[in-house]
Amino acid sequence: MVFYITAVANGFLNTINKMVNVKAGECLGTARGALVNYIEASVIAFCLIFITGNGAELDFSHIREVPLLFYMGSVCGLVAMIFLIIGTSHSGAMTSTVLVLMGQLGIAIVLDYVFFGEFSFAKIAGIFLILAGIAWKERQSGAERQERIRSALSEETEGKT
Amino acid sequence: MYFLFLILSGIFQGLMVSLNGQLGNYYSLFGICFFVHAIAAVLLVLYVKGKEKKPLSFRGAPPYVFLVGFMGVAMVASSSWCTLRIGATAMLSLSVIGQMISSALVDHYGWFGAEKKPFRLKQLPCYALVMAGIFLVVQG
Repeated sequence: MVFYITAVANGFLNTINKMVNVKAGECLGTARGALVNYIEASVIAFCLIFITGNGAELDFSHIREVPLLFYMGSVCGLVAMIFLIIGTSHSGAMTSTVLVLMGQLGIAIVLDYVFFGEFSFAKIAGIFLILAGIAWKERQSGAERQERIRSALSEETEGKT
Repeated sequence: MYFLFLILSGIFQGLMVSLNGQLGNYYSLFGICFFVHAIAAVLLVLYVKGKEKKPLSFRGAPPYVFLVGFMGVAMVASSSWCTLRIGATAMLSLSVIGQMISSALVDHYGWFGAEKKPFRLKQLPCYALVMAGIFLVVQG
């Protein structure tokens, strides 16, 4: 149960982190904003490794034992950010949200099969329901946004006349 | 073409979460956080230096912006911890509902200077659909 609650809390943190990152991007630029995050987090994590008594894992011989592929997570994160910036700038919020989630959950199913040997049709059905729910919500948000713009424009026109 | 970029972005994000989770077989949670962020920091420094050719400076941002590092550590540590135990699909699906609820709260109360958009009851079926999907993913 604790893992499920932590995963939901991770989503909460993700939203707050996005809001703060947007602010950092506005003040410092996208790349420097992200760089603040990475440098700070590296220093904090480095200190915590020693505080929790796990300093031995930074030994060079141990680092070399780990398959190189597993270190590529952060490279994937950077590539994802570049694709997201390019893709979002040429499509709507709804399209980008749903397509990114589709890619994320689709590859998660493949990787769960590769790493854990797990596969189920129920999971795939669940992913379709999640995508449908998100698409529906984004559609509602889009309609509300257009309604707000329309009413603001009509108020402006009334003010002029 | 741009749709493909967005799907690829999701695929790479999913790969990131899963590969970070696999690092947990070799490192402590903070060890994972260190490698994930340090490798990205080195790559970004090279990019910024190569592109702008100016000294690095982080002036001009409000102090709370500098909390992102703590959040980054907490996010990578929690996602890797959960991915190893419940799998990438369940972790990502549960994170989605967390993001939906927290985004609704931010919009409803206008936190972080966001425009206020009150929560409406007609949004509930969308959340119910997502919850049903998550139930299937977790039980499946």
